[in-house]
Amino acid sequence: MIYLDNNATTRVAPEVLEAMHPYLSSLFGNPSSGHELGRQMKSAIENAREEVALLIGAADPSEIVFTSCGSESDNWAIRGVLANHPDKRHIITTPVEHEAVRNMCRRLEQDGYQVTWLSVDRNGELDLAELSDALRADTALVSIMLANNETGVLFPMNEIGEIIRANSEALFHVDGVQAVGKIPIDLKTAEVDLFALSGHKLHAPQGIGALYIRKGIELPSFIIGGGQEEGRRAGTSAVPNIVGLGAACRLARTDDQHTRISGMRNQLEDRILNNFSNTHLNGIADRTKRLPNTSNISFELIDGQSILARLDHAGICVSTGSACHSATHESSPTLQAMNVPYALAQGSIRFSVGRYNTEDEIETTLRVLPKVIDELAAISPAASGRSA
Amino acid sequence: MDLIRDHFLNPRNVGDAAQPCFKAQTGSLVCGATTRLSLQVNEDQHITEAKFRAAGCEFLIAALSILTERIIGMSTADAASMGNNGDAIQAELKSDESHSHCIELACDSLLRAIREYSNATRDEWNGDEALICTCFFVSEQTIESEIKKRGLTTVREVTQACNAGGGCGSCQPLIVEILESLA
Repeated sequence: MIYLDNNATTRVAPEVLEAMHPYLSSLFGNPSSGHELGRQMKSAIENAREEVALLIGAADPSEIVFTSCGSESDNWAIRGVLANHPDKRHIITTPVEHEAVRNMCRRLEQDGYQVTWLSVDRNGELDLAELSDALRADTALVSIMLANNETGVLFPMNEIGEIIRANSEALFHVDGVQAVGKIPIDLKTAEVDLFALSGHKLHAPQGIGALYIRKGIELPSFIIGGGQEEGRRAGTSAVPNIVGLGAACRLARTDDQHTRISGMRNQLEDRILNNFSNTHLNGIADRTKRLPNTSNISFELIDGQSILARLDHAGICVSTGSACHSATHESSPTLQAMNVPYALAQGSIRFSVGRYNTEDEIETTLRVLPKVIDELAAISPAASGRSA
Repeated sequence: MDLIRDHFLNPRNVGDAAQPCFKAQTGSLVCGATTRLSLQVNEDQHITEAKFRAAGCEFLIAALSILTERIIGMSTADAASMGNNGDAIQAELKSDESHSHCIELACDSLLRAIREYSNATRDEWNGDEALICTCFFVSEQTIESEIKKRGLTTVREVTQACNAGGGCGSCQPLIVEILESLA
């Protein structure tokens, strides 16, 4: 199997599994317990917290709170800020956010909040002047992702943070789920108040996330219960997963593989765009403004779902923005917001490379793809077969 | 290999039927898929060639491949009945609810192509009695006499009484007119 769907989830790294293993067998204590076993758990959690802090450049490990997933982190950040500022009823976000932010903001709109949805251009980029204009005295929160999951387009987090600080008292939440482990991040030099991440996007297991909460900000607990995580997030700490996230962050920090990964992505992207007619890159062409591992390419007049299914049969895993693929029959909201024509969005395929891919796998993919595309093009009603 | 996978990876009857043929193009605003289905029908109202093209998911392509394979050799009435019974194909493909739309689209393109045939045949018909239902060859006179004899008031009742309108459905507006003229 060739796994080119690393933005969806990633394989647990052997180093991560190894680090977790004792905590799934002999080291089974509750970190809240007063005995030695409990203390060992507590210390494992604090080590992991430090690793997370180091990877994202937090000023202090105490700014990291463990959660169950990226969505919980996003939900908590947004709800928490609004609860702290009941008088402020305005939120600014973008239409290309992950569902955990987008659908939360839609819900808040129904609940009477005012939401400004900043627009993106055809390249998937924001107009920062639009952000400055949208900021108001009653803006409680600006929630803008760092990297888009579908196109890999990066938003200028530092610049956005400065604009928000200079023009308002709004807090800035960043959904960093897709970026962590893929690009260098240094939160202590950015005007970011809250930052969500998720373990399974960087070779930790599913079921572990974290929220960075800048020192000085207190969010009301999202889950009501015991006093875990300094009273900030109730629920028995998932020690094995937390240890796994710590190990994954260490791996990403000490052996990021960014150059090798971007090399493979570039090969794949260049050769698809050069060798296939009727292909279009979704997202800005400038690679310094995109994640180093992501390529979102549209194959004109071919349905992405059928490309996905054929590649799947050949043992290659990718994803698509085709409407048929989603349960709601909605084509990719990100591509819609970018005004990518419907016929192109339908034929979009996302390739997301990861540290366990090899150059051979990229070559194999490039060898299989032409047959898949040619055969599907031959079936397409747009094909000129025997005249009808 | 399961049925969907087999027909998706090796679709049968891809292309366009030889001219002159009866052709339907469909598109879905729901999922963005497009289809083209074309038929050759002989003088005995049997389908001799069925071809399709599609840009859509594996379920749509498999359903069109299976439909075209099965209707070759069938009367247009039997083929229309197959097109009207998308649930059976869905059950056979073991498709879940989320792909019912794709299979309906495949059935719809078949029915539309048969309607093209029926409308053309009706226009060209020069028998003694006006031909209304070309799937089951039911004349205007037969329909009128059934309506009068049994006091029929709806298209469904007419179909139950004499099959008219039970195939591709293209004559249902004509049956409505006949019902109205006799009411």
